[in-house]
Amino acid sequence: MNSTRTRVLIWDRPTRIFHWLLAASVVAAHVSGELGGNLIDWHARLGLLVVGLIVFRLVWGVVGSTYARFDHFFPTPAKLRAYLKGDWRGHGHNPLGAFSVFALLGVLAVQVGSGLFANDDIAFYGPLYDLVDQKLSNRLTGLHHLSGKVLLLLIGLHIGAIAFYAHVKKDNLVKPMLTGWKEADHGESAKGGGLLALLLALGLAAAAVYGASGAWLPEPPPPPPAAETPNW
Amino acid sequence: MKTKFLLALLAVSFVGTAAAQVKPEEAIKFRQSGYTFMAWNMGRIKMNVEGQYNKEEVIKAANAIQAIANSGMGALYLPGTDKGKGWEDTRVKPELFTNKEGVGKVAGAFVKEANEMAKVAATGDAAAAKEQFGKLGGTCKGCHDDFKIKK
Repeated sequence: MNSTRTRVLIWDRPTRIFHWLLAASVVAAHVSGELGGNLIDWHARLGLLVVGLIVFRLVWGVVGSTYARFDHFFPTPAKLRAYLKGDWRGHGHNPLGAFSVFALLGVLAVQVGSGLFANDDIAFYGPLYDLVDQKLSNRLTGLHHLSGKVLLLLIGLHIGAIAFYAHVKKDNLVKPMLTGWKEADHGESAKGGGLLALLLALGLAAAAVYGASGAWLPEPPPPPPAAETPNW
Repeated sequence: MKTKFLLALLAVSFVGTAAAQVKPEEAIKFRQSGYTFMAWNMGRIKMNVEGQYNKEEVIKAANAIQAIANSGMGALYLPGTDKGKGWEDTRVKPELFTNKEGVGKVAGAFVKEANEMAKVAATGDAAAAKEQFGKLGGTCKGCHDDFKIKK
């Protein structure tokens, strides 16, 4: 049996870099958001980075390599049934894990999306705050806090599932996410996701960050000249 | 003994009337106005520590925050004002009225950093003002996290 074991490339390099960058920036964003103070400025920068990462992943899910593509791991009822019966033999995200991927991406999108319009009732305003009125901003701030809790829950589930696979099913999911390769007795290495696809994904991600940063918003009117400021 | 008791009674009823003069709706409005006014001044400090630093502007803003911080706004949290409408629905959590120790802690921290902000502003040291602004904002957050409804 062992003689037929091969190495299969599961996660291409962009997917791996995306994953670990996302993990690191979400942790840093959480910590800076909880601590507050002047770190809130870093919280905002990290949020913009996450916007770029999510858009990158969405594009990569269409133009990336085999196992990174959404159509490869989209959890259809048939695939789910097969998986729950123990008949699923694929690589990459299993049909149940695919739910986790989509849930994490969706909640993260809500998280950063609401944060762009949020305020902290102190001195921080999200980069797109000017586009909404204060009432809506307050509601989005509430959503930002709520989805943050949901996100922590999903991350806990994600890590719990990986631990379950490692200890109970004896399947190390972390290693392929680090090296890209998995030892298996079947399967084909990932194909596609060339330089052009990478450039497209990076370009769209950069455009999204630019849009989210509000840098394109009209400059606020300059303050009146000092001579006109009353001395009271 | 009797006089002392009467005096105490008088004092209590006097304090009672003094507090009752503010109607709940007004109390909530005063609260909200205080925080809104401080928000204007926090924004001014932020603009100055991030852009071109104008010492006089920061002093004005820091002094305004210090004055409000030391105005004894706690007196505006009358019993029964855990719900109600001032300029808008109050966003205070009921815990503010029950967790006296916790409120005292965050309020004390805020007053301390607001006083320090005014002191630092007077020196005109932009870097120190920026750092102190962060600390001050942190104490705002300390109260918001525990005693303000997020919606």
